[in-house]
Amino acid sequence: MRMLAEQVRADLIAFARRPETLFFTVFLPVIFLVLFEAIFGDIEVSAGSDYALTQSTLQVPAFMAMGIVSACFVSLAITMVNRRETGLFKRVRGTPAPAWLLIAGQGVTSLMIGITMVVVMLLVGRIAYGVEVSVDRVPWLVLSVLIGAAVFSCLGMALASITPSSEAGPPLANLLVLPLYFVSGVFVPVASLPDWLSSAASVFPIAPFVKIITWPYDPAAPDIPWSSVLLLAAWGVLGLIVAARFFRWLPRRG
Amino acid sequence: MPAVGDAIVVEGLVKRYGDRDVVAGLDLTVREGEVLAFLGRNGAGKTTTTEILEGYRTRDAGTVSVLGEDPAEAGSAWRAKLGIVLQESQPLGALTVRETLRLYAAYFPHPRPVDEVIGLVGLAEQAGQRAGRLSGGQKRRLDVGIALIGRPELVFLDEPTTGFDPDARRQFWDVIQGLRELGTTVFLTTHYMDEAQVLADRVAVLRDGKVAALGTPAELQALRGGVEIRFELPPGVAAADLPVLSAAPDLAGGAVRVETGAPTHDLAVLCGWAEARGIELGNLTVERPTLEDVFLAIAGDHAEAEA
Repeated sequence: MRMLAEQVRADLIAFARRPETLFFTVFLPVIFLVLFEAIFGDIEVSAGSDYALTQSTLQVPAFMAMGIVSACFVSLAITMVNRRETGLFKRVRGTPAPAWLLIAGQGVTSLMIGITMVVVMLLVGRIAYGVEVSVDRVPWLVLSVLIGAAVFSCLGMALASITPSSEAGPPLANLLVLPLYFVSGVFVPVASLPDWLSSAASVFPIAPFVKIITWPYDPAAPDIPWSSVLLLAAWGVLGLIVAARFFRWLPRRG
Repeated sequence: MPAVGDAIVVEGLVKRYGDRDVVAGLDLTVREGEVLAFLGRNGAGKTTTTEILEGYRTRDAGTVSVLGEDPAEAGSAWRAKLGIVLQESQPLGALTVRETLRLYAAYFPHPRPVDEVIGLVGLAEQAGQRAGRLSGGQKRRLDVGIALIGRPELVFLDEPTTGFDPDARRQFWDVIQGLRELGTTVFLTTHYMDEAQVLADRVAVLRDGKVAALGTPAELQALRGGVEIRFELPPGVAAADLPVLSAAPDLAGGAVRVETGAPTHDLAVLCGWAEARGIELGNLTVERPTLEDVFLAIAGDHAEAEA
């Protein structure tokens, strides 16, 4: 445990001291939330329900989802690839540190970054836009964040395993998530997408994640979206299998 | 079977890449507490051998025992007794020297105090500096510090001083000398003969995946036929006029070179001869071949591979 604590401490310091990762991972989703609130906040989305639900409310959990994906998938994958390709993993393999330490260390680090962002957005949403989540649904929000963080960490590890070089890390990770942000209910409400696009997007992991994390904020939403939870879990398992199958300690060159 | 007192025992080690035997039946024993320099040209199989000993690579044949265990199967208790400095590696640039060592200390069961290691590798002034902002030599010393943090019995150093300026190299040598005083076994891969000469108890020269020569620096130097006497042929003296020496002299222009196994005798004859004629021998030198000469002769002519 002490080893893991030291690892997480070092990983957090390393993360916080790199301005570019700090900006893209942490600040960008928050900046996006503020911009989107300003631009689209007033749009009514509560068609046919008793509640007056605006886009303003739904954007808060949507950008929480972006924050989790940003920390646990994009940033985690890029970091893991970099450390492998610069020989850091190889170096650690020459010590008694167990194999799981680097993985668990980065997983916990990303989770902590993700949770921090969720809390920031929760507060920004509440203070600046009066967006609240009902108390009885808070446990579900917490659970959604944990499920999302676990699943996207597995997928991030999988992406890291199959990314060939440090240079390929950022473009590959962003290529995968940017289009999905548009079609999965983060940047654009799912309701305003053409049917074929929203049903295509619903297969990929960001859409079900947005759905479950949005649920506590939407009083009009029907029962807990268990099918989305299952789909998300399936993605997590797939990520785990790919990550384990293609994991490498040594850089590609040497 | 490894004898008591042997840190590393390798017998018949083979590593194949495609149809090429990069390591081709290598035998080597490293004694506890000695500094062994592992020399060879690029492509001779140095790094491959080292990485098999460190447990990074598998082998195709042969037996290997490092601190009494097979590196291919040894676990974390075995790794806790090793210190490894890889040929290339980057510490986390954002962490300071002290933070880096503190992290690695957490990996080991009985680490040295971080400040003690900082002192050992001479980075006291840089302790609070980020690793990414250290000079090349300082980074390498941090690397060695990481290797020393777990109180290793055996340290692998793969070309640790490549790219160092002469000052940094000498400081680094002091660190290795300090290790020897602690009784640590050091397996030092290097390209620099002067480094091997200063630091090594024994030198192994690798050629085509095998140990081509093994011995103390003095023993290796003795392999090369002894001592060289050089002087200039005095004006008006023909080669045939020279006294009879234990070995036939080589003549190139006016320069005479005699490679002799009996330098005292030959010098006495030569000086007596010159003295009797009132001749002063120009540019008279007596030299043992350097380890570098020996290395070049043993390691083979792969000059193009050095580029």
